Amino acid sequence: MRAWLLRRIAAGLAIVFVTVSMAFFAIHLAPGRPFLPPDERPLNPEVVARLRHSFGLDQPLGVQYVRYFGALARGEMGESFSKRRPVAQLIAGAVPNTLLLTSAALVIDFTLGILIGLFQAARARRRSDVALANVTLFFYSLPTFWLALVLQLVCGLWLGWFPTAGTTDPALHASLSLLGRLGDRLHHLALPALTLGLVGAGGTARFQRAALLEALGHDYVRTARAKGLAEPAVLVRHAWRDALLPVISLAGVALPFLLTGAVLIETVFSWPGLGKLATDAISARDYPLVLGTTLLATCAVVLGSLIADLLTAAADPRVRLTA
Amino acid sequence: MNSALAVSRRAVAWLPVALLAFTGCGGRGGCTNEYCGTVVFAASGEPTSLLPAVSTMAVERDVFDQIFMKLAEIGPDGGTFGDSSFTPELAHRWEWTDPLTLTFHLDPRARWQDGPSVTAADVAFTFDAYRDTLVGSQDRTALDHIASVAATDSETVVFKFRDRYPEMFYDATYHMRILPAHLLRNVPRATWQTAPFGRAPVGAGPYRLASWTPGQSIELAADSTYFLGRPHLRRLIWRIAGNLNNAVTMVLSGEADAVEVLVTPVNIAKAKADTALTLYSYAGSTYNFVRFNMRANGDRSKPHPVFADPQLRRALVLGADRPQMVEAVFSGHAKIPPGPMPQLWSWLWKSKLTPASFDTLEAARLLRGRHPSFHLAVPSSSPTRVQYAQLLQEQYRRLGVAVVIDQVDNATLQQLLESGKFDATLESIQTDPTPSSSVAALWGRTGPTNWGRYANDRFDALVRTASAALTRDAAQTAWESAFDALAQDPPCIILYALDNIAAVNRRVADVRIQPDSWWGLVRTWRIPPNQLIERDRAGR
Repeated sequence: MRAWLLRRIAAGLAIVFVTVSMAFFAIHLAPGRPFLPPDERPLNPEVVARLRHSFGLDQPLGVQYVRYFGALARGEMGESFSKRRPVAQLIAGAVPNTLLLTSAALVIDFTLGILIGLFQAARARRRSDVALANVTLFFYSLPTFWLALVLQLVCGLWLGWFPTAGTTDPALHASLSLLGRLGDRLHHLALPALTLGLVGAGGTARFQRAALLEALGHDYVRTARAKGLAEPAVLVRHAWRDALLPVISLAGVALPFLLTGAVLIETVFSWPGLGKLATDAISARDYPLVLGTTLLATCAVVLGSLIADLLTAAADPRVRLTA
Repeated sequence: MNSALAVSRRAVAWLPVALLAFTGCGGRGGCTNEYCGTVVFAASGEPTSLLPAVSTMAVERDVFDQIFMKLAEIGPDGGTFGDSSFTPELAHRWEWTDPLTLTFHLDPRARWQDGPSVTAADVAFTFDAYRDTLVGSQDRTALDHIASVAATDSETVVFKFRDRYPEMFYDATYHMRILPAHLLRNVPRATWQTAPFGRAPVGAGPYRLASWTPGQSIELAADSTYFLGRPHLRRLIWRIAGNLNNAVTMVLSGEADAVEVLVTPVNIAKAKADTALTLYSYAGSTYNFVRFNMRANGDRSKPHPVFADPQLRRALVLGADRPQMVEAVFSGHAKIPPGPMPQLWSWLWKSKLTPASFDTLEAARLLRGRHPSFHLAVPSSSPTRVQYAQLLQEQYRRLGVAVVIDQVDNATLQQLLESGKFDATLESIQTDPTPSSSVAALWGRTGPTNWGRYANDRFDALVRTASAALTRDAAQTAWESAFDALAQDPPCIILYALDNIAAVNRRVADVRIQPDSWWGLVRTWRIPPNQLIERDRAGR
């Protein structure tokens, strides 16, 4: 187990190094340059030259590469060109927002998805199963940004039930009680989390239904029924445990999503998370910020797959973690 | 059954708490008077720094114009000649000691938000900082004509000019917001771009920074002791929407009170249909054009195979049906400028200049049977400019001119421009309140943003004459001649200048919008007590 873990950590570090290096060269060699003229007001070339010098962009690419990894080894991620703040500070500010949004979305996704999947499997090939299969397929096939715009229009603009943007109401939030602040936050979280959660739940439900139906055909389920166990107990205690393994793998794959966020949703709902930070950084050719978000996303993917493997091993006694 | 009942009762008991949480009733402030208003602005972008000397964005100007002050401000007529149109701000009076010496007397009531008085030394320090290449101010070269700024006593500061020209007063007052020397003197100039002061500014204006949550909002609080009169609005909040569509949605949903520009006919129609909003039209400071590259794409040593020929460029100007495009894209909410000018320069629009009319016969004659082709780079982030590019492509196709549209992002477009690797680009430019700086910069032979390497000595000479003209009438005549010279040998096709239309919630009264700094006059806006809503009454 320890050897396996050490090997995985070493491989993970190598993946992070290679990915960030590739991102470094890709973003530097991509067309376009940082320090864009803001709005339509052209920046004086003298100002651009001054900025390039102060951020070290007038140095050869190799020098910049060595300097970047040197700084990274000291725990410094650099200063954002477009936000003029330390990258670590910007990422630290965006992570809680993204975690809040994606955690809420994953809770909706897996709770709703698993429950629907269970319900469908228990009533396989009946009318309610077919109806739910169509509904889940509908949500699964929806582009998230489209659903986001529809929910924003209907629940935000037309009905006025939910705010259309931001994480809180900046005019009221500070004056609210603790409970009021929590309510304000949940109120703002509702539409973006529902959008992501509903689309995800569509896929999870289909996954869960298929896994459960397969599990229900196994011999141990027939044995459990033959022993006289009630159907809910057979379904939940016996078949579901087996059918949960693919869903755990799905959750492992979804873990990186917790940090990489939902780029389009964050943009539609002006949600200041990591996804929005990364896309803004790419459009502005903000090299340190692009690399900072890439680093974080890569670490999340590596860590996510590691955790998924550990969870699978915990859930399935047949799996042995060996080097 | 009983336990189920108990559970449902417990759930009902929690309902009011949940409702309270969702409706957001908490420690509500009780402000109900004339000075309670809170206005929320929906901003498309977020400032990077609120230190005016290193600022480059319009949204930064919107915010720091409430925190910092100039010596004097351009008056409602927008005049930049002489000093008669200007209104006092930090300087309560001024006089010309001789034609090259301007003396300002500071208002003794002016105070920095941390206590000390605003002094003449602060003005001299500000000039020195704006001129310092280490600071890298965008306005550094605009102060080239000023030889020195010196304090003679704590309330008197003297500006010495190198030469005499009509916009001396404008240059002395427009570009600089006076900075607190006591807070910035010890900050190394080379670090001003990222200085913490830019995120926690201290000025002498009507509002002070209350909070800045990155990516979300910026809140300013009114200074009730502000020396030019207490602002009626107690709080100003900028909500960062990220893009124009989100900003407009925020205003339509009531989450924000104002957005400075609606741009598209769809947004204008939505805002018009919303009874909670009032629309305000004001002169825009941008114009849009197709720029021709006079040098070969990627090789500046050779002339461009298509655009080196002035007759061909003129044919392209005449072959563009601009009235039809303005109608198709903006439903008439834009105008065709008679030269390279935004609507802000209204005095120039009143001149005898007229835009070249659509004339396919003349265009075909000038083409002389040639069928040129070129690439037109257009920013993919601007749907209106992409639409314009497509309309132009179709109109030129009928003339036998092939246009290939290259949709690129802003960063790439800028690189193409700077490296000269383009045939033509569809651009938008934001200008100063006067043509004397931006026209030469964009179209003059040595202009720093003359990316197409346009060279027209006659035009350059006429621009110099126009910039030195001592009266507005003389300047108007000179600018007409300059733009006429440009029309004969066009470096671009001037397409449109937007009608700027702002949407502001009806509960806000006395709304006045300054074309060069949209929210510059916010301190005079107010919300009558009978129009106050929860966000106005709420306190920190």
